[in-house]
Amino acid sequence: MPKNIIDIKSICHTFSDGYVGIQNISVSISQGEFIILAGKNGSGKTTFLRHLNGLLLPDSGQIIVNGHDVSKHLIQTRKTVGMVFQDADTQIVGDTVFDEVAFGLENLKVKRQKINEKVSLILKDLNLFHLKNRSPFTLSGGEKRKLAIAGILVMNPELIMFDEPFSNLDHPGTIQVLSTIIDLNRSGHTIIIATHDVETIICEATRIIIMKDGRIKEDGNPLDIINRLESYGVREPCSSKLGLGIKPYG
Amino acid sequence: MANLTPFTYRQGQSILHLLDVRCKFFMICLVSMSMLSAHLFACFFYFLILLFFFKKSGLNFFATMTSIKYFILLLFFIFIARALTVKGDILFSFYGMTITEQGLTEGFVVAFKFFLVMLTGLVFSSTTQPSSVKSAVQWFLKPIPFVLEKRVAVMISLALGFMPIIASQAQKISDAQKARCGDLQSNPVKKIIHLVLPLLRKTFLSADSLVLAMESRCYSDDRIDPAFMSSGKEIYFLAGSVVLSLSLVCL
Amino acid sequence: MNNSKQLRMTVYTSLFVAFIAIGAFIAIPVGPVPIVLQNMFVLLAAIILGPTWGLACVAIYLLIGLAGLPVFSGGGAGIGKLFGPTGGYLLGYLPAVFVTASISKGLGKKMSSDIIAMVIGSLIIYAAGVPWLKVVTSMTYEKALAVGMYPFLIGDILKIIAAAFIAKTLRPVIKL
Ligand SMILES: Nc1ncnc2c1ncn2[C@@H]1O[C@H](COP(=O)(O)OP(=O)(O)OP(=O)(O)O)[C@@H](O)[C@H]1O
Ligand SMILES: [Mg+2]
Repeated sequence: MPKNIIDIKSICHTFSDGYVGIQNISVSISQGEFIILAGKNGSGKTTFLRHLNGLLLPDSGQIIVNGHDVSKHLIQTRKTVGMVFQDADTQIVGDTVFDEVAFGLENLKVKRQKINEKVSLILKDLNLFHLKNRSPFTLSGGEKRKLAIAGILVMNPELIMFDEPFSNLDHPGTIQVLSTIIDLNRSGHTIIIATHDVETIICEATRIIIMKDGRIKEDGNPLDIINRLESYGVREPCSSKLGLGIKPYG
Repeated sequence: MANLTPFTYRQGQSILHLLDVRCKFFMICLVSMSMLSAHLFACFFYFLILLFFFKKSGLNFFATMTSIKYFILLLFFIFIARALTVKGDILFSFYGMTITEQGLTEGFVVAFKFFLVMLTGLVFSSTTQPSSVKSAVQWFLKPIPFVLEKRVAVMISLALGFMPIIASQAQKISDAQKARCGDLQSNPVKKIIHLVLPLLRKTFLSADSLVLAMESRCYSDDRIDPAFMSSGKEIYFLAGSVVLSLSLVCL
Repeated sequence: MNNSKQLRMTVYTSLFVAFIAIGAFIAIPVGPVPIVLQNMFVLLAAIILGPTWGLACVAIYLLIGLAGLPVFSGGGAGIGKLFGPTGGYLLGYLPAVFVTASISKGLGKKMSSDIIAMVIGSLIIYAAGVPWLKVVTSMTYEKALAVGMYPFLIGDILKIIAAAFIAKTLRPVIKL
C-alpha cells in the first residue's frame, strides 16, 4: 500500500469578492498516482491546485502534505509539491535556459557547484542541454514547457501538478511534453494534470477527478467515468465515443 | 530593444568576451574618467587601441558607425555649436557668425571624447552577456548600505525578460487595431490609450502569474551569490588599463 | 502575506522598468514630432507604484543603462549616453518620479491630482534636461529651449491626459 502524499480534509475557499472558488473538497492522493483533474472553464481546477502548494490557503478545512500542515510549512510543501503553470512564457525568471532552471535552487541556497551538477543533469534528462545558453524566450512552445518542467524538477519534488500543459502546443510539442510527463510518472513522481481536454492523457491516467462549480463530482477509474464526461462539459475521447475504449494519443 | 541595436550582446569567444565582467567594468570606469582630462594626442592613441579590440572581438567598425549615425550627427552638432560660440582668434566670419581657432579645436576635442566614451561602452556591451552585467551590478552594489542587491539583481532579470514580451505584445495590439482600421483614429490621446491600456492590462496579468510562479519556486531575497567566470588574464588587463589611464592623464 | 505583497511590488516595479526601457522605442506618429512614450511611463510608474517603488524603478532603469545594457533611447547605453547631451533628461527622471508620486499620493490619487502631479513631474524633467543640454553643447538658452523643450510640449500634454485616464482604469485592476 503506497503512502499518502496529500490528505485534504473538507477545504473551502471564498475569494475576497465573495465568489466561492471551491467548497467542501476532501481527497487523498497517494504516491505514484497519475491523476487527471477535469472540468469545464471556471469549474475551480486552478483554484484547487493552488491550494496544494500553499499559493492559496483554505478558509476552512486542512491540507496535509507528507504529514505536515501546508499553512505552517510553506517552503517544505513547495519543495515536495511542484507546480507547472498554464502559460510557460509568464513563469520565466532567468536570462538563460541554465539560469532559469537554477532559480529554485538559488533560492534554497544550495551550493553553486551542486547547482551546476543538478541543473546539467536535469537538462540532459529532458534533452535541453544543447540549449543551455539560449534565452528562454527564443525557445519553441514545447521546449518552453519542458523548460518550465525542468525548473520544477530540479527541486526534486515528489508530486508535480500541471495546469493545462498542452494548451497552445502543436502536435510535435504535445508529444514531446506528453512523453516527458509519462517518463516522470514511471520514475516515481506523482502527477496531477488539470485540463478540459482529456483525450491526450486519458490512456496514462490511473484516476480521474471531475470538478464542477467548485466541487468534486466524480472520482475514480478512467474506464468507469469516461462515458459520463460530457455531462460535465468535458469532451469524451473519440475512441471511446466510437466504442473502442481508451487509445493512446498520437 | 526588439531588434538588434549596436549595443546588443553578440556571442563570441574573444578575449573581451571571456574577461571577468567586474574587471571590464573597472577598466571602463578608469579609462572613461581619465579621458576627461586627456590630451587630444593621447585620445588618438586610445582610439587605435579601441580599434584593435574592435577587430579582435569580431565587430565590424564601419557597420557600427552606420548604425550609430544619429549619434555621430549629434556630435557634429556639438562641434559646430562649440566652434561658433567659443571666443578666441577669429578664423573667418560670415553673416555675423564667427568661427575661432580655439572653438574648432575645443569642439573637436569634446566631440571626439564623447565618441570614444560611447565606443568604449559599445565594445563592452556587445561582448558582455546581460546576465553577467546583472551579476556584476549585484557585486558592486553589495558594499552599499540599505541596498538589497540580490533583489535588484532579480529585478534586472525580470525587467530584461519583460522587454521582449512587451515589445511583441505591442506589435500584436497595434496589428489587431490596424485590422479594425484603428489607424484612422485621429485623436492622439485615444491613440495612446488604445495602445498602452491593453498592453499594461495584459502584462500586469502575466506579472501576477509570474509572482505565483516565483512563490512556487520558493523565491526569497536571501539567495546565493552569482558565480563569475574568469579568463585568468584579468591582472594583465587591469595593469594595462592603469598604465593607459595614467598616460592619458599625463601625456 | 506581507512577503507576498513585497514580491508583487517587486515584480510590478520590474515590469515598469521594462516599460520605461521599451518606451524609448514606442513612438506614436502624430504630426511632425512623433510622440515617444518613455516619459509617460516614468510618470505612470510614479502614480501607480508610489514614491519608494517608483524611485527604485527609475534608479534600476538608469543603473542597467549605465552598466551597459541597451535600454536608453536609440539603443544607447553606458556613461557616454548618461552623461552625454541628453543625459539631463534621464537623470531628471529621478527627482521627477519621486515628486510626482509624492504629490499624487498626498493629494489622494484622484484624476485631477494625478494631472497636477504629472505636469510638475514633466517640468522637473525639463528643468534637468534643458540646462544640461545647454552646457554640454554650449548653446544659448533660447536655442536649448527651442530644440530641447518646445517641440515636445504638445505631445506631453496629450500624454499626461492619456496617462491620467490609464491610471484611473488600471488602479482597480491591479489593486495596489
Ligand atoms: N482572485 C479571484 N477572485 C475572484 N474570483 C476568482 C479569482 N480567481 C478565480 N476566480 C473565479 O473562480 C472560478 C474558478 O476559477 P479557476 O481558475 O479555478 O477555474 P478553472 O477550472 O481553472 O478554469 P479554466 O479551465 O478556465 O482554467 C472562476 O469562475 C473564476 O472567475
Ligand atoms: Mg485554470
